[in-house]
Amino acid sequence: MSKKDRTSSTLELRGVSRHFGPVKALDGLDLTVNPGELVALLGPSGCGKTTALRIVAGLEVATAGELLVNGERYNETPANHRDMGMVFQSYSLFPNLTVSENIDYGLRARKVDSDKRAKRVTEMLELVSLESKAKAYPHQLSGGQQQRVALARALAIQPRVLLLDEPLSALDAQVRSQIREEIRRIQLDLGITTLFVTHDQEEAMAISDRVGVMSHGKLEQIDKPIALYNNPATPFVASFVGLANRIPAEITAKGKARVLNQKVNISGSAEVFVEGEKVNVIIRPESLELVSESDADATRGIVALKSFLGPLTKVGIAVEGAPLIHLHISSREVRKLEIGEKIAFKISSDEVMAERA
Amino acid sequence: MRKFTLKWPLITTASLLATFIFLVPLYGATLFSFKGNGGKGHSWVNYQWLIHADGFYPSLFTSLKLAVLAAALNLLLMVPTMVYLNLKGQRFKSLVDFLCILPLIIPVVSLAIGAQVAMPKFLQNTQYELVFFFVIIALPYTYRALDTSLQTVALKTLVEASRSLGASWTRTIIRVIVPAIRSGITGALFLTFALSIGEYTITSLLHWETFPTWTVVAAQQNILGAIAISVFSFVGAIALLSAIALFSKRGSQRVEVEE
Repeated sequence: MSKKDRTSSTLELRGVSRHFGPVKALDGLDLTVNPGELVALLGPSGCGKTTALRIVAGLEVATAGELLVNGERYNETPANHRDMGMVFQSYSLFPNLTVSENIDYGLRARKVDSDKRAKRVTEMLELVSLESKAKAYPHQLSGGQQQRVALARALAIQPRVLLLDEPLSALDAQVRSQIREEIRRIQLDLGITTLFVTHDQEEAMAISDRVGVMSHGKLEQIDKPIALYNNPATPFVASFVGLANRIPAEITAKGKARVLNQKVNISGSAEVFVEGEKVNVIIRPESLELVSESDADATRGIVALKSFLGPLTKVGIAVEGAPLIHLHISSREVRKLEIGEKIAFKISSDEVMAERA
Repeated sequence: MRKFTLKWPLITTASLLATFIFLVPLYGATLFSFKGNGGKGHSWVNYQWLIHADGFYPSLFTSLKLAVLAAALNLLLMVPTMVYLNLKGQRFKSLVDFLCILPLIIPVVSLAIGAQVAMPKFLQNTQYELVFFFVIIALPYTYRALDTSLQTVALKTLVEASRSLGASWTRTIIRVIVPAIRSGITGALFLTFALSIGEYTITSLLHWETFPTWTVVAAQQNILGAIAISVFSFVGAIALLSAIALFSKRGSQRVEVEE
């Protein structure tokens, strides 16, 4: 199957809401996924990302708003007429059907000719490299294989939009990374418009063209992964995407604050703070650097924690009057540091984000 | 040294005793069913009497026909109902559960007379009214057999996967749900069939002749023949049970739950 097989679709959600009694699971979501684009919805549990996906799939009904595919309203279209391929967290393969029969299921439902169906099933098996498992039953496959079958089954029907509902959550770390790359490879190969829901920021950042961060049923920010990381629009995005230190500070003038005895510029927030106001500033670990103890402007603390992360090590520094502050240091350099050792560091970033304390 | 325990000797003794209690009457009945005329010698004479007795085939055929119809109607009614209750109608589940238990609570006489009056006229005059009674008396058992089976499968996600792939509700039920709950359906089928084919009270009260009512009348004419009838019924029931168990096992080998 190639990109030419199907024209990619545009998916639009306009002011989509879903209320469960008094609870607003989704609150006026506006989102556009361009043709061939992979957009991830990222957020903590209960933020509304899965509800959004289920509304697109037709498994949930929107309380308000419009769902459009290529400009055509889809709100009233039943799930089985939407042409959306969905991959579930729990695989959801039909246990009584073989791998081939599972992939064939959607084609049979569409009454496709048997010759075309057989050809399509073979193509899909090749796409996910499971030709040898065609006659196997789901319980005879590993988790990773099952999820590849689920992906093949969803793609077999040549869906307008591919919907991925935390498809990697049930897999172990190594398989997760492998399947993640496979999903991206196939998505790029087919050029299929894809909406991907996950709570794992690494997953979202690794394979998405754009990532939308959701909180309390609303989209906080949607942007390219790197832009989201470097220029978070809200404190929530800053703290949810990547590791961030939340450090108490005081506003000294408009757009300026004092934190850990250092002066910083406040940016990226629509909030206006008044002089003397107590705030929390959000600083990424890589925006802090170790300096010589003789540096008069530096903040001093004690090494309280070392967590090996591979090439980098996360170092926790205990500073008086502040929560544990985290830095990322090259694992090669960190060997010199001992727990309990005195250390000095500075904020290297020109601007930091602040929120009301 | 291994500690002496009374557990296994007790279990073995209880099992042997239970087998003995079950098998001795059966053995006795089988022995008697082969007694010749006047209780002497061994012969097939009682079974010959049985198969040549007036009303044997019509009553057996009627019972089988009504039991098959009752089992089919019960599944047609209960499978979609139970799927709906487990998927979307959770709030109605306790009400339906209560309604399904009523046939165990209401005395059979009240049920037979009361429900017959409520039945459409065209049914009141045919033996097919019994099908509806059989369905009613099987409800408490089929409800539980199907419900237990549905609880063991990831029903919601299987249905959602099927629907998102373009399948209609009918296709989803036939191709996905029914195979996934095959053991529950087989159990419900067997229970309805067994209850229907052995039902006596309602049939007798409504003056219809089925195999159980014919048996009672026939047994009064020939005591050894009556014993042959009970052995025949028992062997028939065992054969049926085995066939269904075999069918269910074959199905369940394919229907392994993936999670």
